[in-house]
Amino acid sequence: MIDSRQASAALSDINDVVHRVRQSQIYQIASLIIIMWGVLVFVGYIANYTWSPQGYAIWLVVDLVGIAGSIGIAAFGGVGRGAGAFAIRLLMAFLLFIAFGIFCSVVLGHFGPRQMLVFWPVFTMLFYALAGLWFGYAFIVIALGSTALIVIGYFYAGPALLLWMAAVHGGALVLGGLWMRRI
Amino acid sequence: MAELDEIIHQPLRLRIMAALNVLPVATGLEFARLKKLTGATDGNLGAHIETLARAGYVAVDKAFVGKKPQTTVTATAAGRGAFGRHVATLQEIIAGKQP
Repeated sequence: MIDSRQASAALSDINDVVHRVRQSQIYQIASLIIIMWGVLVFVGYIANYTWSPQGYAIWLVVDLVGIAGSIGIAAFGGVGRGAGAFAIRLLMAFLLFIAFGIFCSVVLGHFGPRQMLVFWPVFTMLFYALAGLWFGYAFIVIALGSTALIVIGYFYAGPALLLWMAAVHGGALVLGGLWMRRI
Repeated sequence: MAELDEIIHQPLRLRIMAALNVLPVATGLEFARLKKLTGATDGNLGAHIETLARAGYVAVDKAFVGKKPQTTVTATAAGRGAFGRHVATLQEIIAGKQP
């Protein structure tokens, strides 16, 4: 028989493993969503660069496909793995962030196309960074890395900003998602 | 008085069962992922999974994904029950209900 100190240590060990498994499940689902958004925004920036007058329509399609895809991945991957409630809370938080972003960029501020192009990616990366405080450092690394590259592009990429964003924003999300799957 | 399960109580086997038990029923973990989550080595993990499988606590499924062999380990109903009883016993010891 063991004493209460050893029993506490065993339970603590169990809790540690449970935490790791849950974090791993979150990473598996989140990485798929991040990779999907990486591909979508890459296509969006290239399409926006190629057909500039259709910018709003292009980004509306990208956002709708992305949101539908995120819900699909979270529902398919999350519910089956017992993380459905988490996915729904995360989605609600994401939608609140989007609403706040629209309020800031359209209602309060009157951002031009270049500012809008940079505001949304940086704003969504803030969401990733905050998520990282609870769910793991991988989110924070992806967010800070992407934000730094986006801000550099804003000041130095000139007329090639859309191409820069395709490479650094889309690319960072895809690479970040792939990296997250290896953790 | 409940007894500690000697098969599960070994530290690495306890970690293996904890990892598998948190998953939904009939959902398993790949060997490589289980290794990472429990911090075990290949040989060590294989030996302890074998012990748990002999006790009927886990099921081991070996399949090929493409050309790569993939081993998936899943907690059985008996394993989940034994793990639950083991955790309850640990909690009783902490609460002072057991010597």
